[in-house]
Amino acid sequence: MTSLVSRVSRRLLGLLATLFAASFVIFAAVYAAPGDPAVFLAGGRDKLTPERLATVRAQYHLDEPLVVQYGRWLWDCVHFDLGRSFKYSDQVSDLVAARFPTTLQLVAYATVLFVVLGVGAGILAAVKRSTWVDSLVVGGTTLAASVPSFVAAIALVSLFGVQLGWFPVTGSGEGVTGTLRHLTLPALSLALGALAIISRVTRQAMADAAASDHVEVARASGVPERDIIRRHVLRNALGPIVTMCGLVMAGMLAGTVVVETAFGISGIGSLLVGAINTHDFPVAQAVLLLMVTGYIVVTTLVDVVHPLLDPRVKEATS
Amino acid sequence: MRTSQRGRHAVAAGLAATALLATASCSGADTAATGGAPADAAKLKLTASTPAAKGHQDKANWLLEDEPDSLDLDTQGSSAGRVVLTNVCERLYQLQPDNTVKPFLAEKAHAPDDRTLVLTVRDGVTFHDGSKLTADDVLWSLKRHADPDMEQADEFGNVRSMKKSGAREITIRFKAPDALFTKALAGDAGIVWNEKQVTAAGKDFGTPGQGDACSGPYTLGSWKSGDSLTIEAYDKYWGAKPLTDRVTFRWASDSALVNALKTGAADGAYAESPNTASALRGTKGIDQYYGPSTASLVLIPTARGGLKDPQIRRALSLAIDRTGIARSGYGGLVQPWATPVGSGAWGYEKQRFAAAQDELDDVAPASPTADDLAEAKRLVKSAGAPADPVVIGTDSSQGRTVVANAARAALQRIGLKGQIKTVPTAQFEEFYSDPGARADIDVLVGDWYISKADPMGFYDNGLSDSSNNWVGFKDKTYDKLVHRALGTLDDKRRASLALDVQRRFSDAAVWIPLAQVPSALVIDDRMTGPPASQSYLYYPWAARLGLKKG
Repeated sequence: MTSLVSRVSRRLLGLLATLFAASFVIFAAVYAAPGDPAVFLAGGRDKLTPERLATVRAQYHLDEPLVVQYGRWLWDCVHFDLGRSFKYSDQVSDLVAARFPTTLQLVAYATVLFVVLGVGAGILAAVKRSTWVDSLVVGGTTLAASVPSFVAAIALVSLFGVQLGWFPVTGSGEGVTGTLRHLTLPALSLALGALAIISRVTRQAMADAAASDHVEVARASGVPERDIIRRHVLRNALGPIVTMCGLVMAGMLAGTVVVETAFGISGIGSLLVGAINTHDFPVAQAVLLLMVTGYIVVTTLVDVVHPLLDPRVKEATS
Repeated sequence: MRTSQRGRHAVAAGLAATALLATASCSGADTAATGGAPADAAKLKLTASTPAAKGHQDKANWLLEDEPDSLDLDTQGSSAGRVVLTNVCERLYQLQPDNTVKPFLAEKAHAPDDRTLVLTVRDGVTFHDGSKLTADDVLWSLKRHADPDMEQADEFGNVRSMKKSGAREITIRFKAPDALFTKALAGDAGIVWNEKQVTAAGKDFGTPGQGDACSGPYTLGSWKSGDSLTIEAYDKYWGAKPLTDRVTFRWASDSALVNALKTGAADGAYAESPNTASALRGTKGIDQYYGPSTASLVLIPTARGGLKDPQIRRALSLAIDRTGIARSGYGGLVQPWATPVGSGAWGYEKQRFAAAQDELDDVAPASPTADDLAEAKRLVKSAGAPADPVVIGTDSSQGRTVVANAARAALQRIGLKGQIKTVPTAQFEEFYSDPGARADIDVLVGDWYISKADPMGFYDNGLSDSSNNWVGFKDKTYDKLVHRALGTLDDKRRASLALDVQRRFSDAAVWIPLAQVPSALVIDDRMTGPPASQSYLYYPWAARLGLKKG
């Protein structure tokens, strides 16, 4: 137990260090992006005298050196103040809080879809190895993965949304059924790409597990095939499957931009795109940081959970 | 310096929107349809209003191209915010669908001399919190608009003083006569806020969760950041009751917007991009209306390279195929045009401005004739052809790409070389404002609109000291005429001066006009009522939205 505590605290420290480094990189990157936020902040095209721009720069501290600005931002950040958006006069935290649940729901829905369908297809392929079912799963998922999510989004919208009218084409919906209905197509287009990876990993992990000695022993001693797959094969294969699911899900947190735009969903992704286009520094920084945090947290969780699922990893690390 | 404003971003974004080509054929109320695709730009019929609605309805769903930045138009004025707020907030003057203005919350206006304006504040008006609208609120609002940090500050450049001169009376004195001031009061500079409410909200005024501080036919219901915004009919409104009780706004761009309208998820939208309207042409269940707006497509030359010479600029203007641009870049939904402002700018003396626009065909033809090309070549010869290619700055949006290529083709036709420089949209916007950013280009593929229905709101851009006069056009007579026109309160006399100014601007080709961009209303075919003209930014359009059948 103590080893777990020390491992988790080590992880936490690493997490903080990574966040700190990431926050600086993000800050510098947003700062270095082409374009001048003062131009946007100063208003219309015809008001942009050099004096006015200088005033605006001073007002928003844009004329200070990068490190000073970063320090100012970090100080506010650790005091839970993400600042006010340049574009919306609103608090950044309010903007993010209003949009984050939508993106989270979308990613959660997509995760359920790709885990259930992907792992299911992988198990099916592994059990029916080298049959036509196997080929069908591998072929089908490869095809699905080769379609970029924005193409899938457009195709799904035009078929199920516009032509058949089964699903709404914009917005994120209200209530449980409304949200489910609104987010089905977006989640599906997000999940399609992940299907191939997950099913392939599942199939391979199960094949590896099935080839191990204790499975041979169990089989020789007459344990029913169903139990062998459930208790021995799947259980031992769970480590890589969970790891991969976690990684893919973490990646999705940062990758909803395209799908949100195609479906007119106001989530974190579309907030980020808007912020970058308008040089809305505080928002872009906060969203990027949130995405990085989400990624780090999920991957750390996977790392922590992994040994619990697979005793062999635990032995190796402790 | 005083007229075009930050809504520009929205128009630019709209024009830059992912292009969807026109594929549809004609439909019922589509006034522009001519039976084929694309629409015939020359026959595009512009109407100020749609037929009046007869039936009441509980609710309507409306689409915006973007979420409003803020509902405090003093600090952050974007088109999306205006489209919503114009139904909630009222102004001292009101812009009508036909682009004229009339006194509004100022019940009466009186000018004892040309440097004084006395406004009588309308009686019996209450704010949405129930409190009475007073002259103190009016004065406080005007002073807030005039604050140098606020969006509308430049409208108050001529104002010497603003005082309360009676229980319901405000007197404004000017340093010099200002013909555009009452027009500004029909825009964001004339909004009357409830002082108490704005002060109480402080920095958060205009953000989600705050009240609206206004007196209009609708009150702000709820604004769920990132999701939707709802306005509701105000029970105690002093004027006529709106036909639609509740309007819910959502936002989507490009294809998401088109899909939402196609599937009936939304009832209507004012399309900022002609390409959006174009993609919806001929869709069953949707009517389209086009109205006059001040927006235009233009080439804006810089002082760098060959276009510094007015003769070369005139030659380019003569050789460019405006009809071709309208057809292949914008599905025929923009109109070849010879002045840098659209017909929505004609808030007075319409016939005279229309006639003058036709006459300018000799410097900016819709399609160049053999004579035009011969004259253009003669001009190039007389000026001496520049050695370096003309660098055309654009972003990668469909419309602009077509314009850039048309400009290059025109240059080629008159024996000059053109070179296209494409930059990302965010960077493109900086061309307008930062001389450093446009140091490498000779001409910008631009768009522009002005917020007031007066061509004089545009022509100050040609003044010797204007930051938008990039070619360094200097003409003392021009400057004198512009200042005189801006100080001429009489519409007829100002129109004469404006026409003179316009001719000089065109002859010098300070900017090269290409097309006017009408405003486009797409709406569920069961509904009607709102204006089709650009007045939708300043007129309570939702109050007139209703069912066709009673």
